[in-house]
Amino acid sequence: MMKIALAKGRLLDPSIKLFESLGYDLRGARDSRKLVIDDAAHGARFLIAKPMDVPIYVEYGAADAGIVGQDALREGSVNVYEPLVLDYGHCRLVVAGKPEYQNAEWRLLAGLRVATKYPRVTRQYFTARGLSSEIIEVYGSVELAPMVGLADLIVDVVDTGRTLRENGLVELDEIFKSQAAFIVNRAAHTLRVDEIRGLIEKIDGTRTNADERG
Amino acid sequence: MISHLFDQQLPHGVADLFFNDAARKRAVEHALADTFARWGYSEIIPPMFEYYESLAAEAGPQLREEMYRFFDRDGRTLALRADFTIPTARIVGTKLFDRAMPLRFFYVGSAFRYEEPQAGVRREFTQAGIELIGAKTADADAEAIALAMTALRAAGLDEFRFTLGNAAYLQATTRDLALSEADDLALREAIRRKNSPALAQRLDSITLDSARKRALAQLPMLWGGVDALDRAICVNDEARAAIEHLRDVVARLAQFGLQDFVTLDLAENRGMEYYTGVLFEGFVQGLGFAVASGGRYDNLIAHFGRSIPAVGFAIGVERVMMARKARVTIAPDVIAQQYDPRVEKARARGRIVEVDILDRDDAALREYARIRDAREIWWRDGRVEIRQ
Repeated sequence: MMKIALAKGRLLDPSIKLFESLGYDLRGARDSRKLVIDDAAHGARFLIAKPMDVPIYVEYGAADAGIVGQDALREGSVNVYEPLVLDYGHCRLVVAGKPEYQNAEWRLLAGLRVATKYPRVTRQYFTARGLSSEIIEVYGSVELAPMVGLADLIVDVVDTGRTLRENGLVELDEIFKSQAAFIVNRAAHTLRVDEIRGLIEKIDGTRTNADERG
Repeated sequence: MISHLFDQQLPHGVADLFFNDAARKRAVEHALADTFARWGYSEIIPPMFEYYESLAAEAGPQLREEMYRFFDRDGRTLALRADFTIPTARIVGTKLFDRAMPLRFFYVGSAFRYEEPQAGVRREFTQAGIELIGAKTADADAEAIALAMTALRAAGLDEFRFTLGNAAYLQATTRDLALSEADDLALREAIRRKNSPALAQRLDSITLDSARKRALAQLPMLWGGVDALDRAICVNDEARAAIEHLRDVVARLAQFGLQDFVTLDLAENRGMEYYTGVLFEGFVQGLGFAVASGGRYDNLIAHFGRSIPAVGFAIGVERVMMARKARVTIAPDVIAQQYDPRVEKARARGRIVEVDILDRDDAALREYARIRDAREIWWRDGRVEIRQ
């Protein structure tokens, strides 16, 4: 049986559609709060997990493969294969803050406080630029932190940028662009060559068809 | 329940082993060491710590960062061994370089790395492995791989599969490219992670002839059976030789009947500052990360004096323990109520006999034998009771 971890949240619906287009039966994933959906006919088990957990599941081999945003993948810093990017889940990880930090003023400040759900990526970004920063890990509503004086800046994903604007924040720098990625456990990649290769080719095929349709 | 009176902390990444876990560990170590010995390997026991500068030789920036370092009283920097390959290379390069080759060494012991928590990673971990020194042939590479597989079998793991690549192929393909260090690292990382989209982007950003570009771009797809070798694009003779060498190694694995346990993978390029030829990693059913890893390192021993080729691998003993289902019992064969000549005879024959030293009465001794899961109780009056 092939175990595939799918990230919850905005990636889940397109991921379900992707596997349904390949003939898998994932009805259970939509209708309920089930965390495990078996498609015995295809020998597949889908695990619905929090985005940050998907890379861990795959690295440890609790799942043979998974679909997760590159943002969570980079934050997880796991040793997995990432053979495909998928054409959904586009977003950007950015540094944002109050408008007075525009024009790079924030780079001159000592002891910046940064609130984020991405502590590892944030630390890398700031240390690579020689900026001392205090990173505050929060678990939701990161945009709130500058408003209440908890942090000077935030590092978070943005889609349209509306949430930032509504909270009086502006984007100061882009750290990276992200989209959904198909990742594979290294042991599964070696032990189950044909199954993994078949799955990669099938998923890649759906993408090529979409490209041809233009 | 854990007693609060003894709330002593333990550093991250180390473990206390006792009872069955300790027995299981020793059983794995014995099975591996025994297999190595039967293939003609003798044990090498390097010191637990030595001068940092020796161990840092050729270690690569990451491994260097991960070494536990401290000072001796003269202010010189010492380090705990982070693997056995570098100490073995030092010993061979400085002391054994003029002996008849090949030298076959095996080792079993702890190594130490200050590593971030990651799948299967501990800071004190046990390696059991071999170094085959003084031969550059496909036969040497095949022997190392076949021995790794045979040792895993001896340790009770039958469902394994090894990836097999050749660092020389990527080295040949990127030779004379004059990449910046950052480009080179990013390129290798994209290849290693089979991240085709990132690789394509990276290849577009560097100047490159089209043959090399195609050769590198398809690397993430070059894995599977020997057909992966047929699909490899060779831009020079070295690249061709690297591919032919892999064919030779697979052909020799066939002599051991082990050719079907290999997945070829030309994208494999971990530890490039170290490995110069074949690279392999062993995976077993039920464990998401490698249980064995090794490769050819022809330039390492030269750092200590003489240039001598070598190939080797290490098996992670704790990882074998995670994958191995077999139970090891530490139950005694006999609990004797008192010491008498029978005890001595039984012990001489290899039976495990435990003698009561707390002067227990019959009921208490029976209960103790139950807890210890002993097979027999020998009473003071000479009766032998077989427990069920």
